[in-house]
Parts: sequence; structure tokens; C-alpha cells
Amino acid sequence: MTYFLPQKLDDALELIQDGSAKLVAGGTDFYPAMQKGQAMGRIVDLSRLGDMQGVTKDGDGWRIGGATTWTELIAAPLPPAFDGLKQAACTIGSVQIQNAATLAGNLCNASPAADGVPALLTLDASVELASVRGRRILPLGEFITGVRQTRIAADEILSAILVPALPDHAVGRFEKLGSRRYLVISITMVAAVIGVGPDGLINFARLAVGACSAVAKRQPALEAALIGQRPQTVEVTPDDLTGLSPITDMRGDAEFRLIAAARQSTRAIQNRERS
Amino acid sequence: MTKINMTVNGRAVSAEAEDRTLLVEFLRSGLNLTGTHVGCDTSQCGACLVHVNGEAVKSCTMLAAEAEGAEVTTIEGMANADGSLSTIQAAFQEHHGLQCGFCTPGMVMSAAALLKDNPKPSEAEVRDYLEGNICRCTGYHNIVKAIMAASGQLDAIAAE
Ligand SMILES: Cc1cc2nc3c(=O)[nH]c(=O)nc-3n(C[C@H](O)[C@H](O)[C@H](O)COP(=O)(O)OP(=O)(O)OC[C@H]3O[C@@H](n4cnc5c(N)ncnc54)[C@H](O)[C@@H]3O)c2cc1C
Ligand code: FES
Ligand code: FES
Repeated sequence: MTYFLPQKLDDALELIQDGSAKLVAGGTDFYPAMQKGQAMGRIVDLSRLGDMQGVTKDGDGWRIGGATTWTELIAAPLPPAFDGLKQAACTIGSVQIQNAATLAGNLCNASPAADGVPALLTLDASVELASVRGRRILPLGEFITGVRQTRIAADEILSAILVPALPDHAVGRFEKLGSRRYLVISITMVAAVIGVGPDGLINFARLAVGACSAVAKRQPALEAALIGQRPQTVEVTPDDLTGLSPITDMRGDAEFRLIAAARQSTRAIQNRERS
Repeated sequence: MTKINMTVNGRAVSAEAEDRTLLVEFLRSGLNLTGTHVGCDTSQCGACLVHVNGEAVKSCTMLAAEAEGAEVTTIEGMANADGSLSTIQAAFQEHHGLQCGFCTPGMVMSAAALLKDNPKPSEAEVRDYLEGNICRCTGYHNIVKAIMAASGQLDAIAAE
């Protein structure tokens, strides 16, 4: 194998322009998936790309560099709408995993159980894809197309995650259900961003359910129905959730997953105050 | 084969290694620093924990080449300059924070990373921080106790 550690995005893009290289960032999905004796080929490591680091203000919105780790995200000063994404970050593996692993890696790996996806969906995030051919931007909901499938081309790098401006009063929440507290793959998870007006009624609502479909799903019908409701009295039932097709496996059966997702949705909506 | 250079425990080192060498293999086989252990092949157990540029990472989940030019600290770099045990190591010994000892290097490195950022953690914060370190022997209680003692807060745990 050959291993490259470029310092600039443009250099990395040149290294991968023939589409044959494998990309690695934190390696926390990449290395555990390697098999003994497997040939590694050409590897381009993205972790030192100086121009892809950190979270910055971008006009009215935010730009999360494609090499930003979960630990960096947790430490970044961000408005309360990002609280759900930060809570998700704190549940990714363990501290050492968060120190190495990137948000971009979580999206590109495209696991149905990726904890970053529901929260980023509720932030209306888009991804910026760079190649020597130029840059394009795709909404996250279109970027991930299936289990471990995305629209990224072999010569592209996810250079940034873009989050548009959010109202100041909107607060993010994340609920994860695992079979234990730490180092665990989600059975179901729910992210929400909820805003409550001075009258105590919900006037801004976004909610997404993860691990109950190949790709985490926003819940537009539920979001619309929440407007004008008092958060404390909201009770979400499985029938309120749409577009889900949970699997039955050793972690839980389909019916259990739907009930769990409804309960998590209720909790995420009711418990919207910052603690 | 590539020549890989880094600073390990304050000493500049350089050794030939295949590109695919993991940092943990480089430390163990290349540099004979066998205090860093390998306990799993899923990046879960934390026995391989080292500090790279001050941050706690799992050395089984990183290529040696990725640490090119970095400052790496392993368990062998934790003792005081005169060879006596560091506060954390001494507390593990004193409070029986280990049985078989397999997880201990990782536990000590994790504890050091925690206390650097948070010198007086609560017991809950210690337990939370150790989420990425698995111990099959101790039931964690004495590990937590040792870390509380190392942070000068033995009373906090004795009172509970
Ligand atoms: C012990 C352990 C526990 C874990 N727990 C969780 C958990 O609780 N929740 C969860 O969601 N995940 C978990 N994970 C999975 C993993 O840590 C996350 O998905 C992480 O965010 C991946 O980021 P990375 O930088 O390590 O990706 P890598 O492993 O480096 O890369 C993953 C994939 O994305 C591609 N890629 C990475 N960056 C880019 C980029 N900028 N542009 C294009 N392609 C790119 C790589 O080519 C590769 O295919 C866990 C992993 C481990 C080992
Ligand atoms: S050997 Fe690295 S985490 Fe288990
Ligand atoms: S002391 Fe044996 S694994 Fe922790």
C-alpha cells in the first residue's frame, strides 16, 4: 500500500483524481472494517487537511469543515439548535473515538445507525463535495441514498457540512436507545429541534428518526402537526411516524422499534429546555 | 517500507515500517514498547490507549504513518523522571485498581487525559470518561477509587 498525508485540500483532490484511492479520516469505521491480510492499496489520509478543520460562521449559517472531529464539534460555541447534534456527538463510541472520528466520516460511512445523521437532518444540513472538477452542494437527505450508499463520486471529498441559520429560540435534542449506555449501536434514535413562542406554543419543529429505515427520516407530517401545540401535552404514537420500515434483529423487533421511536419523539419534544 | 519519525515519551525515534503498520504495532514491535496492549480488534477495549499530541486515542485505530512528526506518550512515559511511579500509577497500586493488569496501561493513560482537562472530576465524570476502557476483572470500582485518590479526592468516594 501507499499512504499519503496531504496538508491541503487541493493536494488531496489531485491525489484522488483518478478515483482509485481510499480515503481515511479518523479511521474509526475504516480500520475496524478491514479484514486480516486485505490489501489496502492507495490511502489518502484527510485528518491533516488544514483547510477542512473546525466550525466557522458562514454568512448567516455555519460551516463544519470536512475534517472536524466530534470532540471539536462538542467544544465549538454554537447556538442551542445544535444541542441535539452535540448530544449525539457525546454518544458516539467513547471519548477516544470522538477525539479521532469525524462528522464527515459518519455521513460517508452511511450506516443506518449513524448517530450524526438524524441531528444533521433536523438542522437542514447540506454537504459540500469537492473534486478537481469543482464543487457541488447536496442536501444531506439526498446525499445518503441507502445502507452504506451515498452520492459521492470516487474522486470527491466531503469538504464541509453546511448548516443554514436557525432561529435563536430553537433548541436541539437527541435521544438514543442502546442496549447499554456506552459504546453501543443505536437501536433507535430521535433528533428534534423545537422552538416555543412566548405563548408557550410550539412555533418551530423539526424531527428525524434514525435506525428505523435504511436512511434516517425527517417527519414532515408530525412537524406540521406540532405547530401550535403545547410541548408538555404532546404524545407521539407510532402512527404519527411515517416512512419507517424498521428491521427485526437481535437488538429489537420492528414493533418495539416503532414504539421506542414514538416514545423518544415524545421525550425529545417535551424535554426541550436546556438542562 | 517507509521511515517513520515521531517523538515517543520525549525521545525522537525513527524506524522503518511497512505503510500498513498500525501505531500500536509500531510501538510494540518497532520500538519494543510493549506496555501498550491490544485487547480487541473492534476499537472498543481501550487497552491500546496512548496520547497523540496530548489527546487520548486508540493506537489500534491509527496507522503509524498517521502519527508522523507527532508527540506520542505511552504508559512507559508515565513514571516520574527518577523512575518512581507517577501519582496516578501509585494510586492504582495503593487502591488495588488492577487485577490481571491487562487493561491497566489504557486505564492509566485515560485517567491522565481526564485529569489533565478536569483535575477534580466527580465520581460520575470519572465513570463517564472511562466509557472507552473495558476491564474484565475489577468491576471498575477500585479503578474509579484510584483515580479519585489521584485527584486528591479520596474523601468524595469514601463518603459515598
Ligand atoms: C468503538 C467504536 C464505537 C462507535 N460508536 C459509534 C456510535 O455510537 N455512533 C455512531 O454513529 N458511530 C459509531 N462508531 C462509528 C464511527 O466512529 C463514526 O461513524 C465516525 O464518525 C466515523 O468517522 P471517521 O472520521 O473515523 O471515519 P473513517 O473511518 O475515517 O471513514 C469512514 C468512511 O468515510 C469515508 N470518508 C471519511 N471522511 C471523508 C471525507 N471527508 N470525504 C469523503 N469520504 C470520507 C472513508 O473513506 C470511509 O469510507 C463507532 C466506531 C467505533 C470503532
Ligand atoms: S486494542 Fe485498541 S481498542 Fe482494543
Ligand atoms: S485488571 Fe484485568 S482487565 Fe482490568
